[in-house]
Amino acid sequence: MTFLPITVAVLVAGGVYLLLQPGMVRIIFGITLLSHAANVVLLAAGVSAWRAEPLDTHAGDEVADPLPMAFVLTAIVITLAVTVLMLAMARLGGDDDTYRIPDSGEERHA
Amino acid sequence: MTDAMLPLLVVVPLLAAAVGVALPARVTGVLSVVVPLATALGGLGLLVATSDGKVLVQQVGGVVPGIAIPMVADTLTGLLVLVTSLTTAVVLAFTVLNRESRLRFFPSLALMLLAGVNGALLTGDLFNLFVFIEVMLLPSYALIAMTGTWRRLGIGRLFVVVNLLTSTILLVGVGLVYGVAGSVNMSVLNGADHDDPRYRVAVGLVMLALGVKAAVVPLHGWLPRAYPATSASVMALFSALHTKVAIYALYRVHQVVLGGDLFSGATSGWTWLGIAVVCTTMVVGGYGSLGEKMIRRNLSWQMVAGVGYILLGLAIGTRLGLAAGLFYMVHHILVMGALLLGSAAIEHVYKSHDFTRLSGLMRREPVLAVVMALAMLSLVGFPPSSGFFAKVGIVRAAAGLDDPARVVVMVVIVVASLGSLVAMLRLWRDVFWGPPMEDLPSAGHGEPCPTDFAVGTRAPRRLVVPAAVLLVASLALFVVPGEVWEVTGRAADGLLDVSAYTRAVLG
Repeated sequence: MTFLPITVAVLVAGGVYLLLQPGMVRIIFGITLLSHAANVVLLAAGVSAWRAEPLDTHAGDEVADPLPMAFVLTAIVITLAVTVLMLAMARLGGDDDTYRIPDSGEERHA
Repeated sequence: MTDAMLPLLVVVPLLAAAVGVALPARVTGVLSVVVPLATALGGLGLLVATSDGKVLVQQVGGVVPGIAIPMVADTLTGLLVLVTSLTTAVVLAFTVLNRESRLRFFPSLALMLLAGVNGALLTGDLFNLFVFIEVMLLPSYALIAMTGTWRRLGIGRLFVVVNLLTSTILLVGVGLVYGVAGSVNMSVLNGADHDDPRYRVAVGLVMLALGVKAAVVPLHGWLPRAYPATSASVMALFSALHTKVAIYALYRVHQVVLGGDLFSGATSGWTWLGIAVVCTTMVVGGYGSLGEKMIRRNLSWQMVAGVGYILLGLAIGTRLGLAAGLFYMVHHILVMGALLLGSAAIEHVYKSHDFTRLSGLMRREPVLAVVMALAMLSLVGFPPSSGFFAKVGIVRAAAGLDDPARVVVMVVIVVASLGSLVAMLRLWRDVFWGPPMEDLPSAGHGEPCPTDFAVGTRAPRRLVVPAAVLLVASLALFVVPGEVWEVTGRAADGLLDVSAYTRAVLG
């Protein structure tokens, strides 16, 4: 049962770390990790006791909760759309960083 | 309005947005004014239909109550649909007049924004609130990236990242609420165990996310940076819609999902924490303008201050507090719209909203100067304007607190208002007073400088009209405040006693 919380913790830690980096692309990756964490939280809210798929002829109390899955599906679609927009913004308007640490070893036009 | 018509408030703007993509720009421009006017009419219909305390509910899809995703409308919803739609109509009329609506897809994006706002105001479901806030934000990302100065591209990144991060927090909050209480239907949650600490943490996360979106200090930093970089009319649109929807959601979530426990008028630790936060918001916003040298940067801090005043009503939590907060919200939407559209008219003609490049507009633009002066007086809270009664209401609500420290709250309100007054005086002195523009030194850098404008350059009357319309609405609120107080009072009643709301939703 500790598997899901640890997954969330790792995702959030990585997401926050990347979010605090300069550079839009890294921020986008950070946001992606965070939204994955949110999706896992949503799933954990409904399927902590994993039950059968709501397909066949299972009784109501045996099937998995379909609502968190619907939530996650909606959230994934929204995040995907915004991520694409953010990637476009990272490419637009010139430089990725607001300022550049001199010896970061980065290419100017990576 | 009847129950079955509720989804139309979302469907019509969304359909119009889709159709508008295919139509010629001229037609879409007209559409972008007519559709908000139609939804404003819908809001008026909601106000009439809910005037006897009735709550309209549409269980979308006809599923069993409690499982279906409901659309609910009470007096509060009706009032806000009316005010936001009217302001949207006026702002979009302005974009038709200054030809901003000719930008590719601009009217359609604005209509999508309106659909999201109406959806967020109508929904009775936490997850659906998240979805509609996203529906509202997605066109906003495009709007902020397509209008304004070149700074908008960098600022667009800020706006998107802040909002997406906040939405993720909101989503986690909703997920936790579902995990704890087993439902995201607000009316079902009203009956959940509110003393469960896990439930409180989950709802707290939701309210934290809404607090960022409402720009409550110390979570306000994005607003004064992001909004001024876009164009004036888009800023007017955002100011009327974005933060206000978040504030509405805070009111609704606190009163329905949390059962109004936190800020219930009794002076608990929570009440004082809430009051401390919103008082800081008022003061920081009120005085934040002093460092700014542009009209809309100046105004963006006043938007933050306005959030403080509106939420003070919620933090006080009495009937008078809630009613005064909602009255202030109506006043603030109208007056901010008027000020920003006035600034938009100035920018359209003089290509700048920089204090250093504007001067002596009082003699040059007498009509606009009168409109702006009255709107500024209204923002600060002087008669003859809606701001007067809004401020009086807030102070009276603070006076009703059952604690000697209420004096401090009242003093803070006055001190914060003084900050707004100084900010407005500065705006007036730098832009409307001073020597004629022809006497200003050249700005250089190849940018249009004041002396470039022909001596006869004036703002066309048609561009001043939208600001004047919103101002007249604000002045009308001064003349007949009683009717509006009655409506906000009824909305406050609906928030304090949510039994009619939950009974209507759960059948």
